[in-house]
Parts: sequence; C-alpha cells; structure tokens
Amino acid sequence: MIRLRRFAASAGQVRVLAVAGMLAVLPAVASGQPRRGSIEFAGGVVWTGGYSAGSAPANETRNPSGGSTPLTLFQTDSRVLGAIGLDARAGVYLSRRVLVEGLFELRRPVLRTHLSGDFESAASADADVTIASYLFGASLLYDLRAGRAIPFVSGGAGYVREIPEGGDVLTGTEVHAGGGLTYGLTRGHRPLGARLEVQASERSRSVAFDQKRRILASVAAGLTWRF
Amino acid sequence: MRRALALTAIAAASITFAPAVGAYLKLGTQLSSGLVNVRWKTFPIRYFVTNRDVPGVTAPQLQQAVDRAFATWGAVPNVALSSQFAGFTATGPVGGDGMNVIGFQDRPDLDRVLGATSFTVDTVTGEIVESDIFLNSRFPWSVSAGGDTGRQDVESIALHEIGHLHGLGHSALGETELLAGGGRRVIGAEAIMFPIAFTAGSLNRSLRADDVAGISDVYGNDRFRNATGSIAGRVTKSGAGVLGAHIVAFNPASGKMVGGFTLAGDGTFAIAGLEPGPHVVRVEPLDDGDAGSFLSASLAIDLDFKPAFYNKLVAVPRGGTARSIEVKVEPK
Repeated sequence: MIRLRRFAASAGQVRVLAVAGMLAVLPAVASGQPRRGSIEFAGGVVWTGGYSAGSAPANETRNPSGGSTPLTLFQTDSRVLGAIGLDARAGVYLSRRVLVEGLFELRRPVLRTHLSGDFESAASADADVTIASYLFGASLLYDLRAGRAIPFVSGGAGYVREIPEGGDVLTGTEVHAGGGLTYGLTRGHRPLGARLEVQASERSRSVAFDQKRRILASVAAGLTWRF
Repeated sequence: MRRALALTAIAAASITFAPAVGAYLKLGTQLSSGLVNVRWKTFPIRYFVTNRDVPGVTAPQLQQAVDRAFATWGAVPNVALSSQFAGFTATGPVGGDGMNVIGFQDRPDLDRVLGATSFTVDTVTGEIVESDIFLNSRFPWSVSAGGDTGRQDVESIALHEIGHLHGLGHSALGETELLAGGGRRVIGAEAIMFPIAFTAGSLNRSLRADDVAGISDVYGNDRFRNATGSIAGRVTKSGAGVLGAHIVAFNPASGKMVGGFTLAGDGTFAIAGLEPGPHVVRVEPLDDGDAGSFLSASLAIDLDFKPAFYNKLVAVPRGGTARSIEVKVEPK
C-alpha cells in the first residue's frame, strides 16, 4: 500500500512537472522563441558611416629668399563617404538567449578627395576612387528578454579587407559592439523575423591617407530565419 | 630681388629626351633600334677634379663637395650606383678626352648658367662613356656647411649636375616668376633636378621624391620595381594629344610628388617609381618662358591649356601599372 501510494504520489508529481514543462516550452515554440541549438540565418542591408580620410598639402620647398614656409601647390581634403552594403550572417544559439554568429559584409564606399587652393588657379575639383570593402567577423548576441520583440546587445571582432579600385589590398582588424531588436514576423518552427542593429566598429586600418584607428557607425536591417 | 640663375644641361647632339616609361625626364638617344635611355653601364664612375681653385673654394674642397653629392645619389635605396674619385687633373671639363672631369671654368658667355653637364654617348648601345661638369667661376661659390650669403653652394649645384651626369633630364616640379630684367626666379621647387637654382646662399643638398623616382627608374633593381608602381595614360585637348604637358602624381598619404611629361604627339605619358596607393593627378602646361629648359625647342610644345586635376584618384598597384587614364584639359 505504502508502496502504491508512493508510486501514485510520484506519478502525480511527474504529471505536474510534465505539464509545467509543456507550459514552459509550448509558448516558446508557438511564438518562435529560440532554444539551445537553434540555427539562425540573417541577411540584409547595412549602412556604414563615412569618415575623414585626412588632409594633406602638396608642398614644394620654398626658395629661402621668399620665406621659410612651404609653397603649397594645392590642398587635399579626403573623406570616405558613407555607403550601403549587404550583410549575411549565420549563427547558432548556445542557449535560449545567447547566439554566436559569423558575419560577412560587402560595401563599396567612395574615397573622395577635394582638391583646392591651386597655386596656378586650377579649378577646385573632387577626385574619387571606389573601394571594395569586405568584413569577415564573428559576434556574440545576448537577448535581453523573450517575446515577439527581442532586444539584444552584441559584440565581436572581424577582419577587414579593402581594395581601392585597381589598387592593392589593405587589411586590418576590427572590434564592434552594439545592440538592436529582433521582431518576430511569423510563428512556428521556422519563424521569420526582422532585425535592426546599430553598431560601432573600431578598425585598426582603413583606406585613408592618415593611418589611425577609426570608429565607424553602422546600421543594419534585414530578415532572420531560424530553425 | 636677386637674379634668377638657370642651370642647363648642354648635351651632345645625339642626346634627346626618351619617351620611354619614366619618372620625370630621362635623357635618351636615338639608336637604330629606337630611343633608349642613356645610362652608365660600368661602375664605379671614375671622375677627376680639375686642380683649379676659385675664390672661396679650393680644388680639394670642390672634390669633397662633389664626393658628397655623388654619395647622396648613391645612397638612394635599391639603385646600383657607385663612383670613385680618380685624382686631380690639370685638364678642364671638356669632352672627348676619355676622362670624366668636374671643375670650375670661366664662362662669361653664359651669364645665367651656374653649371652644365656634357656627355659622350655610345650611339650603338646608349652607354655613357664620358661626362664632364663645369661650374661657372663667373659666379661666387662656397662650400660652407651653412651656406654663405651671396655665394652659390657647390654641393647643391653639383648634386643637380651629377643628376644629369647619371642620365637625368630636368624636372618641372617648381614654380617660377618672370623677372623684370629677364630670366626667372624660382619661388619653390620639389626636385633637385628643377632647372633653376634657389637664391645664392641657399642650401639644397637633399634629393626629393621626384629625384629618387627618376634615378631609381634608370638604375633601380628588381626590389625597387616590385615595391613601386606607375601611372600611364594620355593628356588630351579637344580629343587630340597634348605634347609637353607636365603631369604631377601626388600621394596624399606621404606628401610625395613625382612629375612626368607627355613626350609624344599623342599625349601619352608614364610616371614610374610611385608608392602604392591612391594618387592625385594634376596636369599643367610648362612655364611658357622656360619650356626649352625641359624639352627640345624644336618640339611643338602645347602651352595653351589650363592646369587641371584628373577627376579620379588613381590607385597605384605595387609592382604594376594603374589602369590607363585620360586627362582632358581645356584651352586657356
């Protein structure tokens, strides 16, 4: 008897726990919440802000009889313009809230040099070159809460490869941090979502006429697909 | 205002300017196989110094200044140049004696010429077999380390002339102004091979990027060619080539400028010895009063166009040539 009673009690406990488990899992599946091992693909567009690429005068040595300052033949002021590109990501959830992803980004920004102050009055002008910019990296995302709209923070690092049209490859590294929001567009086992992310990326090198670390801002928007 | 003093290269009749690939201007000669750059092929270049003092400069002091000037050219990385002082001689710097002689010479007929370089060239191979340099003793000279007011610095002028001795022509990387009494005064320059000297008393003893590119283009080794690149293209006006245009390639990353010329009627040019990376390209006519300092006066040099920038940055590849460009200029 005692044994039966204990069994019955145990069976009742199992049922209760099982129901509790169902309650915990079913809403997640129904609303497309990630779980450990979920795979997520994402793709979209990314806008990365421009930055000053340096200023430099084209100087000649002045005849000492005319002064000690250089003679400036013309002045250059350069800037890499903001540009829209494409990004693609693939990741796996390490837990319900932690996603690790690899990313690839492709952009074609323009390096523009403004030429002015010509000693012989050449008309001021802009000279451009297009840069093919590639970023290969990895990020760790942490979902701040569950739900249809999931805010997250992110951080990671990458390898940057930039090639001015017709020129040599320039490579560097970057670290990035940011955050954003994923919004579930559909429910089910393979939910679609929209993702918006804002990041700051610090780059060791970039196409510019003065080599220094730079912080670039970027905004990415796209779709996610998880299964 | 001080006088403008022109430095000219007096070359043998067979010398002309080579339109081959070149950072700025290299001297060339017409052979049966075409134009080739004139250059030394046997090193060290053995030179004598005329045993003649002038006020302020003894022959040994001249030799020491010349030796430093040779050493400056020889110190350019990745070029194969060497020279050797062979001794003092009573012979003046005249051609045809089989000796390379550098010395003072009184040339009152050349009242605007500080110095000049002459050559004897093997017309079969283009090899320079003899070269002589005179410094005009009509002018006051100095070898003072800090320069002497009113006196021309021997080392500065020797550096220019020894550039010619190695086979380089004039660079146009400089700005001048006309003087009321005739001649031109240099305002600024960025090449030792610019044909007009700074005011007497000034020192100008270091090579610039343009000089380095030029000498490297003639004597550079594979390491130089693998580490640098070139720009090539055409300068056109109303669809036709422009002859004698001066092209400047400027690297904003380093601040270095290297010049070149269009040396053919179709307006083609090439500038070698450039650092890899994006360059600004600027085109201008030669100074109208001084075009003969750079190119043969017999050429129909086009001076009638406005200075202009090319509207693209030209990315110079390491060890290669950037995609050919066309720079369009407008009449003045």
